[in-house]
Amino acid sequence: YRDLHTFELQAPTRVIEWARGSRVCVAGYGQSTGNEILQLIPPPALQAKEAQGLCPERDFKVECGGFSKRPVYSLKHVPDTSLLVTSGPPDSSLQVWQVSAEDSDVIKSVGTIATENATGKPWAKIATLSARAPWVLHGSTLDSVQITEVELRKNVYTAGCQDGEELAGLAFLDGSTAVLCCARGRLCVADVRQPRGALQALPAPAAPCGHRWCLGTACAAQGPGLGAQPVARLSSGGLLTLTDLRKASEPLASATARVPSPGSGAEFLCVSWAPALQGCLAVSGFDGTVHVYDTQSWDSSGREAEPVFVHKGHALDGSGDPALVTVHTWHPQKPRTVLSAASNGSLHVWDWVQP
Amino acid sequence: FPAFSLCAGAGQDVGRSCILVSIAGKNVMLDCGMHMGYNDDRRFPDFSYITQNGRLTDFLDCVIISHFHLDHCGALPYFSEMVGYDGPIYMTHPTKAICPILLEDYRKITVDKKGETNFFTSQMIKDCMKKVVAVHLHQTVQVDEELEIKAYYAGHVLGAAMFQIKVGCESVVYTGDYNMTPDRHLGAAWIDKCRPDLLISESTYATTIRDSKRCRERDFLKKVHETVERGGKVLIPVFALGRAQELCILLETFWERMNLKAPIYFSTGLTEKANHYYKLFITWTNQKIRKTFVQRNMFEFKHIKAFDRAFADNPGPMVVFATPGMLHAGQSLQIFRKWAGNEKNMVIMPGYCVQGTVGHKILSGQRKLEMEGRQILEVKMQVEYMSFSAHADAKGIMQLIRQAEPRNVLLVHGEAKKMEFLKQKIEQEFHVSCYMPANGETTTIFTNPSIPVDISLGLLKREAAIGPVPDAKKPKLMHGTLLMKDNSFRLVSPEQALKELGLAEHQLRFTCRVHIQDPRKEHETVLRVYNHLKGVLKDYSVQHLPDGSITVESILIQATAHSEDQGTKVLLVSWTYQDEELGSYLTSLLKKGLPQSTS
Repeated sequence: YRDLHTFELQAPTRVIEWARGSRVCVAGYGQSTGNEILQLIPPPALQAKEAQGLCPERDFKVECGGFSKRPVYSLKHVPDTSLLVTSGPPDSSLQVWQVSAEDSDVIKSVGTIATENATGKPWAKIATLSARAPWVLHGSTLDSVQITEVELRKNVYTAGCQDGEELAGLAFLDGSTAVLCCARGRLCVADVRQPRGALQALPAPAAPCGHRWCLGTACAAQGPGLGAQPVARLSSGGLLTLTDLRKASEPLASATARVPSPGSGAEFLCVSWAPALQGCLAVSGFDGTVHVYDTQSWDSSGREAEPVFVHKGHALDGSGDPALVTVHTWHPQKPRTVLSAASNGSLHVWDWVQP
Repeated sequence: FPAFSLCAGAGQDVGRSCILVSIAGKNVMLDCGMHMGYNDDRRFPDFSYITQNGRLTDFLDCVIISHFHLDHCGALPYFSEMVGYDGPIYMTHPTKAICPILLEDYRKITVDKKGETNFFTSQMIKDCMKKVVAVHLHQTVQVDEELEIKAYYAGHVLGAAMFQIKVGCESVVYTGDYNMTPDRHLGAAWIDKCRPDLLISESTYATTIRDSKRCRERDFLKKVHETVERGGKVLIPVFALGRAQELCILLETFWERMNLKAPIYFSTGLTEKANHYYKLFITWTNQKIRKTFVQRNMFEFKHIKAFDRAFADNPGPMVVFATPGMLHAGQSLQIFRKWAGNEKNMVIMPGYCVQGTVGHKILSGQRKLEMEGRQILEVKMQVEYMSFSAHADAKGIMQLIRQAEPRNVLLVHGEAKKMEFLKQKIEQEFHVSCYMPANGETTTIFTNPSIPVDISLGLLKREAAIGPVPDAKKPKLMHGTLLMKDNSFRLVSPEQALKELGLAEHQLRFTCRVHIQDPRKEHETVLRVYNHLKGVLKDYSVQHLPDGSITVESILIQATAHSEDQGTKVLLVSWTYQDEELGSYLTSLLKKGLPQSTS
């Protein structure tokens, strides 16, 4: 490590989202009511150019907070607004919140985006686009994918699909395209300029049945056009598949991450591309570690890949039940800085060194 | 009516704590701190808030100081000797021992170094401390007949305490600065379920999520290690007590583990003083320290030795702990001057430095300092700052509230920022009211005092026997007479009350006349009435007495002829106050008339 800071949140989180002004948002996912949504100001040390060891300000500060009756499974900031949306069981509706840091430090609930036949459906996955429109792409199943304009709560797009397959993730690729990943691994691409447009389906990667998948895409603002960065899919068995959406018929590359078996389920599977390092991605959710891989050396054989770095901090922390990493995210500017959280409430900020 | 009013003299600044509480007619001042950032009158609290005229000694019942940090006790000599207060000042034993040292130290900087004149003198500090009454933990101290106080362990620094102030059945708990997680040499704060009407807690660190102690210690050790590895010298200016002990234990363990050879020194004066205080106040440290102390002397470290002035000139790496903590005078400043010119060396400031001190200047980035005799000192050595101060964060505050179970919470905070979120969090979780007054604001808190009343056993038994069986879930209404005598309240039966008070019971009797049309003789009317009532009032005892009157329970009914009209009979219905209900019922029943049946 070049640097490692460990913190303890009052309640564990499964979301770490960056917001305007280098803020970080976390939220509780406990089953009982009284989950908190916190917007944190990271310590100046994190924002500085060089690592500072004994900087006086080493702590996160809670800038504002809100109370959510539901567990928060997903949280996204709506760019260019002071709104954020969350989702969580027991249904697929979204909750809208207002963050107004000037006169009050409370994040207020300002409404709900209800979806048809929301009850009983799994919780909705959310994606936002950092472009002119305050759009939120959301849905819990293929046939319920839609885009809502958040400020007016107006629906601007609905996917024309009858398939009720459960979604594992979705993302904007750019202002006109979105990619959807089903829990069973299938990818679909949607042209969001065509309301009720059909989805272009891509085959699921070859993998044993029963595996669940999740999606990792690069930040939509970065590359222009479709698939400037390949789309990564991670299965609960550790299989990682990279697909270039321009040539989607066959996977670009694939490898298998070394994961403990039996796996601990697919609840917290997370895969993400490093915004500032070409071909570098991080994987977590199998145990108390976060793996970093360099995919540039991968081929399509799918054999086991060696991580370039493994963060074991969460597994070593504390006693009692082993911690499970719930989520991780890359720092948008500092190339090797990662934030990760685990089921024991720990929050780590680490800066790894290329061996 | 309000039972409390509160004036937060602290409020806005992380600099000065001073809170005034009025509880059931008693006035208590909590802490008397000085603001470290100001050089003028603003550094002391404005005591004219308390009372415009009149002596403070008459107005205040006592002053309580929570711990020896200057932002909690720094204005005490000014307050007691220059403004004027002769009443009792309460603090724990370690606080009483250490306060004067810090106050004297600070006085020296302010007066000798900065040349201030409107400041308290050494004699004033001594006179002030003569008014101090030291207290033990969990010892109930009677300030006067009604006011009592009790100290609880607060962690944070040696001798820091949280205080419970109680008058009758109303109480306030003031936390001062506290810490809910134990560290290497102090335990965590603790309080019992004392259920105060109000808990006053500091909340400066409520919005902070601190990085783990392990990380901070690791970084500290890394810096020390790197410096020592490249042959440099590390200076750590410390105050005699507090973090120095933490750091010594930390370094000793590290040196042992890494098998390092560079010498670590500790100023001699420091060793003796610290040793003395730790032995004296061993019960104030945590379990581990106590165990260590029993086995060996605190400062018989393998790797830490006593320092000699000459060592500062020795070549090669070393680490030195020296006083005073802000580099403003004495040994630490001497060493600093010797080592400042070499970039291989490092100075690590372990805490806040007052403006005007060398410590403060170098932390602000100054690298050219003017020393005595107009000598310029160029500072090439590395300057680092690290704070190991222990305060409660939001989680800690919630824990304390959970332990004490107050009815109201008041947060005193260092910055004038909104803490609406924390307020809601506390209110939602504990269903209590949460207040956050600004500096100078008065907060009034209403209490529901419970008044204990003794009930006589005889009355209790009697009342319990009447009516349905007592049910744990349903409240039962009891009747008795409340006797308030001196300061005691008793509930007794009315008969007992009359007896005690020497009063005779008055009998209240009501008589009502009901007119009935009946031309027959009186005794026939009476018979009619009797049969009617007997038929209707089956559950009651209706009797026809030989003298011609009817009784229903204890109610008497007599019939007479109307004086002017033989056809009308007048029924006199008479009852006592106790039978009011039945009496009224009977009257209305009779007013309805008698049935036409023959007798």
